[in-house]
Amino acid sequence: MIISLNLLKQFVDLNDIDLSYLLHKLTFSGLEVEGVHHLAKAKGLVIGEILSVKNHNDSDHLHILEVDEGEKYGIKQIVCGAKNVKEHLKVIVARDGAIIGNDDVKITKSKIRGVESYGMCCSLEELGVDKSLLSEKQCSGIEELDENAPVGEEDVLHYLGLDDVLIEINVLANRSDCLALYSFAKEVSALLNRKLNIPYYEIKANRKSSYKVSSKSEYCKQFSLRVVRNIKVKKSPIWLQVALRSEGIRSINNIVDIGNYVMLLTGRPIHMYDINKINSQEFVVRDDLNLPFIALDEKEYQIQEGDLVVTDKENPLCLAGIMGGLNCAIDDNSCDIAIECASFSNVKVRRTSTRLGLASDSSSRFVKGINPKNDKEALELASYLLQELADASIFEEIVTYDVREKEDRHIACSFSYINHRLGTSIAKEKMEEVFKALNIDITLLDEDNFLALPPEYRIDLKCDADLSEEIFRIIGLEEIKPTLPLIPMTLGGLNPFQKKKRLIREHLVSLNLNEVLTYTLINENVKDECALLTLDEECYKVKNPMTIEHSVIRKSLLASLFDVVKYNNDHQKEDVAIFETSLIETKTHSFESLGIVLKGHKFEQGLLNIREYNFYDILGIFESILTMLGINKNRLKFQSLEDNIYFHPFRSLKVYLNNKLVGVMGELHPTYMKKKDLKNTYALEIDLSSLCEVKSASLKMESISKYPFVTRDYAFVIKKEVNFALIEKTIKKYTSSLIKNVEIFDVYEGEHVANSYKSIALRLTYGSNDHTLVEKEISEIENKAISALSSLGGELRK
Amino acid sequence: MIDKIKEIARDAEKKIANAENIEELNKLQLLYLSKKSTLMSFMSEMKNLVGEERAKFGQLINSVKQDITKRIEEKKKILEAKALEEKLKKEVIDISLPGYNYQKGTKHLFQRVVDEVSDIFIGMGYQIAEGKEVEEDHFNFELLNVPKDHPARDMQDSFFIDETKLLRSQTSPVQAHVMLEKNGKGPIKIISPGKVYRRDDDATHSHQFGQIEGLVIDEHVSMSDLLGTLELFVKKMFGEKREIRMRPSYFPFTEPSVEVDISCFECGGKGCPLCKHTGWIEILGAGMVHPNVLKMCGFDEKKYQGFAFGIGIERVAMLRYGVDDIRRFYTNDMRFNEQFHKE
Repeated sequence: MIISLNLLKQFVDLNDIDLSYLLHKLTFSGLEVEGVHHLAKAKGLVIGEILSVKNHNDSDHLHILEVDEGEKYGIKQIVCGAKNVKEHLKVIVARDGAIIGNDDVKITKSKIRGVESYGMCCSLEELGVDKSLLSEKQCSGIEELDENAPVGEEDVLHYLGLDDVLIEINVLANRSDCLALYSFAKEVSALLNRKLNIPYYEIKANRKSSYKVSSKSEYCKQFSLRVVRNIKVKKSPIWLQVALRSEGIRSINNIVDIGNYVMLLTGRPIHMYDINKINSQEFVVRDDLNLPFIALDEKEYQIQEGDLVVTDKENPLCLAGIMGGLNCAIDDNSCDIAIECASFSNVKVRRTSTRLGLASDSSSRFVKGINPKNDKEALELASYLLQELADASIFEEIVTYDVREKEDRHIACSFSYINHRLGTSIAKEKMEEVFKALNIDITLLDEDNFLALPPEYRIDLKCDADLSEEIFRIIGLEEIKPTLPLIPMTLGGLNPFQKKKRLIREHLVSLNLNEVLTYTLINENVKDECALLTLDEECYKVKNPMTIEHSVIRKSLLASLFDVVKYNNDHQKEDVAIFETSLIETKTHSFESLGIVLKGHKFEQGLLNIREYNFYDILGIFESILTMLGINKNRLKFQSLEDNIYFHPFRSLKVYLNNKLVGVMGELHPTYMKKKDLKNTYALEIDLSSLCEVKSASLKMESISKYPFVTRDYAFVIKKEVNFALIEKTIKKYTSSLIKNVEIFDVYEGEHVANSYKSIALRLTYGSNDHTLVEKEISEIENKAISALSSLGGELRK
Repeated sequence: MIDKIKEIARDAEKKIANAENIEELNKLQLLYLSKKSTLMSFMSEMKNLVGEERAKFGQLINSVKQDITKRIEEKKKILEAKALEEKLKKEVIDISLPGYNYQKGTKHLFQRVVDEVSDIFIGMGYQIAEGKEVEEDHFNFELLNVPKDHPARDMQDSFFIDETKLLRSQTSPVQAHVMLEKNGKGPIKIISPGKVYRRDDDATHSHQFGQIEGLVIDEHVSMSDLLGTLELFVKKMFGEKREIRMRPSYFPFTEPSVEVDISCFECGGKGCPLCKHTGWIEILGAGMVHPNVLKMCGFDEKKYQGFAFGIGIERVAMLRYGVDDIRRFYTNDMRFNEQFHKE
């Protein structure tokens, strides 16, 4: 909110208070100063009167003026381009040497198309006044001053009420009381220990009330009304225009301005009705209507059951706390009016306002919370102003409907509690002083305990912790010294899953992969892409997305990773190796996922030695993760991914753990690559949560054989479709544990090998932990291995 | 005969000296020292001699043999060294070419900050608590003292999934889960890093961003402990010279609440564009856990109290590493990501 320093000064004594000290005090008591602006900024101004206007010979729009700048400066020649110059117009002159506007523009005498000009006639905008506060006319020409403006006056900003400082305050959500200038002044008075000067008016009623008020809704428990007659709608006096302008509100007419001014000062939204347009003698608040309603903004809104509405018993007159109706609006001919000041439930106002997309200063104040008790003060202030500024002469009695329960707002607290909470040792006398300054009544129960009664406008003070905050923000900041918690020892650290996850991430980084971070919310169109781990699961959709691009919660990391690859491809980076770990949540299940994408080439040695990534890169990375987790490959089931549209049917794998799919990996399907505008791309996605849960055998040293092992190499021809895993498995099945290792070291297809066959070179390692194998033993196992191969159709090459 | 031997010796000396390679030398060895060589054949003459003459003759042959052997050995060493030198010369490579690629990749800056902050707090005895991102309204708001229709809900425009579920708008619901799990018994000392979501998007706001929530609860945990803890954290994260200050603020789940500023690490507090000439930079929000939150989460609010704080992950990273736009974290331009390579 914007605080006008000039306005604030009317209600609290700020004489001799340094501005920067005030700003510091505000910020460090919870009223953060977000900015300080001068309403206008100018030096070297004077009020002048145009004596004559001549056209400039050399220009179609410039005028040469003779301007009387008063006794001190005499008559000066000024060249001016504004259209609205005329003889005897009183104007603001920036003299030779003047500095004007927020950008500190310097005005100097100069020749304009050959004619001497000793200054400039100004618009308010040129003096730095925000455009939004000015009328169209004011923006299009120089400022036209009142005909009585004193020629020669040099403090022009003061004369215009523009010598104000605007303080922009970030009022915290719990301190809505400070949105009322009166309460803000009280806060400042407490902070600076300065005298308050808030007037209280009471206008004696000179007639009985002609209206009845009531509420049929439990969401409006208080409704007060005063009828004022014989008002005159006219322009507001300058002081009121200036006060509102400082607060960023444009002046409309005296009645509207009074309403805004009362709201500004008391924080209470009031609403005024033209009672001559209402055919009833009764105001009833209801929440059971279903009908259309035309509001002051001339738009139609549909009122629903549940919306709080002020009615004349039957017809709606006002969307309670939000906006009045066009049917009973004040206009230039209004004469008799009713002023309403009520307590509408913030919940109801918020709901209706949100649903209709209709907000006003009034609704925003109701939503944030109002002082529930100053309705009479607000009505009396409005009455006083109507009497002074709108010639009102008949004031009926205030009628009030009020069924609010009396609540006990006392808070039990103790000085020691506050010190314990803050970690301070502030003397209780000092705390009492703070409470007194804040108008919080203290009743001492004993040495330490007390009852506190906060003032009615402090609706945020509800419990002992709230009181500790008052002490904290007023005097506690300087009293608190840094300490560390003295509490029972706790063991810090990552849990086993977090530890494994971090190790895997660091491992992948050490393999020269780059970690990335992508959005959880993705476009619904790509939600199923590569989501093989969550194939039949339903994804969460956001009800109120910001864009379609981010509208559903992803079921797989891979589509996001492909976007990263694509982005980099489009930015001169063709070869990318990336990974991400992230939570995946679907309607049925959630897990930590790891996604890896390799695209393009692996650079073994700069550009000297590069090779394309292939299936075995992605597989190798997966195998290294299994080793880290201590998972033997035998515990997993591998299957080719044949029937899918995302992966190459014969260069991909599905991995099962106890019949649960925990991973997919491989080369992308050429069709899918084409769709994603990718080439030579390999991807992996695994369910880290499941894999990290696998219990692996605890580490224990195994004895190392003292006896040498023997290796022998074999070349044989076998059908192409027999894969290595089957060969290894069959050899191990046929032979004994004396075969320590089966390794493949060459695969060859082509010349000298029949068409549907391949030649494979195997190295078998024979050995025992308790003796050196003799030739007889070796050849026995060797024969078994060879017959194992034969059973697969393999034939030893001679 | 003696003359002949001496001639052989002279001849051998000359030829050995002139030998140009090992092969030639090996031939000379055979020529002079094999059993069939002229020199050795003189040995058989020995039996025809007697006495002193025989001894003298034997000594001569031996000394010539030793001399030749020695000369061959020495020459061999020289030739071998020469051969090696030549071989090495032929093996010259360009040692200025790049080495094979054993470089590491780069951790994402976001994760780097999470890991750094986590390690600092782990060192102080904190555990890491993580939660789900699809959260119940009850945990994201209600247990944190933000009932339905509370104006504070407008402070955080959330992504709703249905009436009761939303994408968490803060990491604070993890607090509530941890407290309920602890069944009213302290102490609690956790941080919970994670992603959160709000309907917001510009150079300093992203609809997805990271927070690290901290929570300490026990019987005597005070505001001054919060100040001390954060001061320690800030010095570790931003340098020993950093100072911190608190400003009163408002969060529904803490009372009192504060915003915490650190002295600007760019200018040391003198004022510069980074700190908007104030000398201070706002880095986190914190406060004493509201008694209502303790109560709703199963703790006796008369016995226990504690503090909580929330750090913006990208904010810390942007400040510390001079990142100009939050969206860079999510674009993953490798030219950006790879800059944060150094440990």
